[in-house]
Amino acid sequence: MITFEQLTAKLDAQFPDKLNSYSEYKCNFIKVKDTSVYMEVMTALKEEFSFMYMVDVVATHWPKRRDKFEVTTNLFSIANKLRVFVKLADEDNKFPTLTDLWPGANLLEREQYDLVGVIFEGHPDLRRVLLPEFFDGHPLRKDFPLKERTWFNNADEQGIGLKFSR
Amino acid sequence: MGRTENVSEVVTVNMGPQHPSTHGVLRLVVDLDGETIVNVDPDVGFLHRGTEKLAENRTYHQTIPLTDRLDYLSPLSNNLAYCLAVEKFFDLEIPERAEYLRVILAEMSRVASHLVWIATHALDIGAMTVFLYAFREREEILDMFEVATGQRMTSSWIRIGGLRDDMPEDFFVRLADFVSRFDKCVDEYENLLTKNRIWMGRTIGIGHLSAEDTMVYGTSGPLMRGSGVDFDLRRDESYGIYDRFEWEIPVEEAGDTYARYKVRMKEMRESNKILQQALEQIPAEGSVMTDDPRVALPSHEDVYERMEALIRRFYIVSKGFKPPKGETYQGIEAPKGELGFYLVSEGEERPYRMKIRSPSFVNLGVVNKMAKGHMLADIVAIIGTNDVVLGEIDR
Amino acid sequence: MGLIDGKLPENVLTTTVDNVINYCRKSSLWPMTFGLACCAIEMMACGAAKYDFDRMGIIFRATPRQSDVMIVAGTVTRKMAPVVRKVYLQMPEPKCVIAMGSCATSGGIYDTYSTVQGVDEIVPVDFYVPGCPPRPEALYDAIVALQSKIMTEKVLRK
Repeated sequence: MITFEQLTAKLDAQFPDKLNSYSEYKCNFIKVKDTSVYMEVMTALKEEFSFMYMVDVVATHWPKRRDKFEVTTNLFSIANKLRVFVKLADEDNKFPTLTDLWPGANLLEREQYDLVGVIFEGHPDLRRVLLPEFFDGHPLRKDFPLKERTWFNNADEQGIGLKFSR
Repeated sequence: MGRTENVSEVVTVNMGPQHPSTHGVLRLVVDLDGETIVNVDPDVGFLHRGTEKLAENRTYHQTIPLTDRLDYLSPLSNNLAYCLAVEKFFDLEIPERAEYLRVILAEMSRVASHLVWIATHALDIGAMTVFLYAFREREEILDMFEVATGQRMTSSWIRIGGLRDDMPEDFFVRLADFVSRFDKCVDEYENLLTKNRIWMGRTIGIGHLSAEDTMVYGTSGPLMRGSGVDFDLRRDESYGIYDRFEWEIPVEEAGDTYARYKVRMKEMRESNKILQQALEQIPAEGSVMTDDPRVALPSHEDVYERMEALIRRFYIVSKGFKPPKGETYQGIEAPKGELGFYLVSEGEERPYRMKIRSPSFVNLGVVNKMAKGHMLADIVAIIGTNDVVLGEIDR
Repeated sequence: MGLIDGKLPENVLTTTVDNVINYCRKSSLWPMTFGLACCAIEMMACGAAKYDFDRMGIIFRATPRQSDVMIVAGTVTRKMAPVVRKVYLQMPEPKCVIAMGSCATSGGIYDTYSTVQGVDEIVPVDFYVPGCPPRPEALYDAIVALQSKIMTEKVLRK
C-alpha cells in the first residue's frame, strides 16, 4: 500500500521537473508538463505502481486557454486502493493513445474523439461511436450550439425520404 | 455439389438496433464463420441524447433529473453519484438520517436493477417464469418508491445536500416487510435456475474473462467480481456510511457467465442484509437536508418571515449556486459497476464540463473479447451477462 | 329489426361486418416491442404479472410483420429515426402508433443537437401518452382509447 505522497515522491525522482502533483476536493491529480515523458509516466504507473484498472478518459475543450485541449485519464490501483488523475494539456488536439497499455481505452478514446474531437495518435480504430458518420463537428466543444439540429437533413442514409422540420 | 473441401467464409450478420434481446437499441455487427463468432463490433449511439452537453447548460440542481434517465433501472443510484460529486466541492456534512435513507434507496435500486437483469437475462435464454417472478418483487420495490417519492422510476429524490423530503411511516413498514421476505424470493429464482441443466449449459464457460482482462479493459462491478477480483467501491473507496454495515462482497473465480450470475444473486442477498441493518440503525428523527446555506433552500417558514431567506431562496432557485473553481470526481458502486461523475467547475452556476463514467459503456468494450469463438446464440447470453443499459451507454 | 324478427333460428345474432371485424381487431392488438429508453421498462412492467396486458389480448411481438400497433417507448434520436420509420413501414396495414412518454411526444427535456423533437416527425401518431415515464395505467388508458377508436372505423368504406 502506498499513499499519493509516496507515489509522487517516487515519480518526481524518476521524472524530475516534469510533473506537477496536487490534490483538490479529495482527488489526486498528476499533471504531466512535458508531452515527451507522458507515455513513460503512464507505463511506469501501470507496470511499477499497479494502476491496472482503467477507469476513464476525459477530454476537455478550453478555447480561452493557450493549451486548448486537455485529456484527463482516471486510473485506479486496486492493490493500493488509490485513484489518480493524469492530466496532459496541449495546444492542438493530438494526443498519444493509451490503447497499447490499457485495451479498455479503445472505446473511451473513440468516444472522446467523437464528442470533443481529440485525435489519439496510434489508435487502431478511431471512428465515431455515438454519433452517425455524416455528423459534422464535435458537440462537446464550447463553440458548438446545444440546439444545433440543421444536420438532421444532411443525409438520408436509408433512402426513405425523411424530412425534419423542428 | 461440386464442393470437395470445406471452404471457410466469413458472413457478416447485423443484429439490432431493433432486436428483442439487445436490451434496448444496441446494434451488433457480427462476423461469423459458420456459426462461430469471429468478431463483434458494437454500434451504439442510437440513444445519444446529449446529456453531457445539456448539463453544461443547466444549473447543478437542474442536472439531477437528467441523471435519473441514464441508467433507468436504478435512477436513485445515479442521483446519489451525481450529488456526492457536487457535494465534494462544498465538503458538505450530510445529516445522519439522510445518509441512512440514501443507503436504503441506493440498495433498493440495486435490488430493483438486478431483478430486471435476472428477468431479462433468463428470458433471453428461454426461461419465461423467472421474468414473472422477478417483476413481482420489482413491482413491490417500485410501489415503495412511489410511497416514498411519488414516482415509480425517475424520482430525482436525492438532492445535493441530502434528500428532497423525509419518508412517510408507511414506507418503513412496507420495507421491513419486504426485507423479511426477500431472501425467500431469491431462493425461488435460484430454485428455477441455479441447478437447471439448460441454464448451466447455456452459461457455464460462456464469455470467459480473466482477472487481468477485467482490469485493463476497465470493466467493473459484477464483471470484475465474477473473475476473482475482490473489489467494491463501497468498501475500497468508501462513501456515505457504508463502513457502518457488515456485509460480504461476493467473489467468484470462474469468470464466466454462470459465475457472474452467482455474484449478482449473492449481491441481492447482501443488499438485503444492508437494508436490514440500515432499518435497525436509522435514527428515528432528524433533518434530511443539510442546513448549509450555500446549497440548501431556506425553509418555507423562514422565507415567509425573513427577507434574507426569501432572497437566498429566490437566488438558488432562479440562478443556482456557485461551487468553487476546480475539478472533482466521485465514483460509486452502481448495480452495473463503477458509475462516476467527473465535474469541472469554473466557479459558475453551471458545470464547465461533466463527464459521466458509465459502467455499461466500458463493459461493452469487452463484448468482442468475450464472444470470440462462441456460437451466435451465445451472444444473447453474453449481452445479458454484461447487463447493459443503453441510456447509460449512449447518454 | 322488425322485418327479420322471429324469422331466424335460435342462437343467431345480427350485427354488421364492421362490428365483427373491428371487434376481432380490437381484442387482439399485438404491439411491437419498440423499447427505446426508460419508458420501455414501464412497458415491460405492463407485460408482467401485476398489470398483465395479456388479459386484454395484448401480446408483445418482436417483429413488425406480426404486429398491429407500434408503441414508441422512449427518446428517438436522429441516428434511430430511420430505423423507426423503416420498422413502421414494415408493419402490415391497418396499423397504429402510440407515442409513449414525453420524449416520444415532443422531445421532452432533451432539447438537444441529437434528439428528434417528437416521433410525429417520422411516423403518424394516433395517441400520445404523457409522463416521464408514464405509469402503466396511462399506457393502459391509451390502449383502451385505441380500442374504442378501432370500433368506430369503417372496414368496407373508407
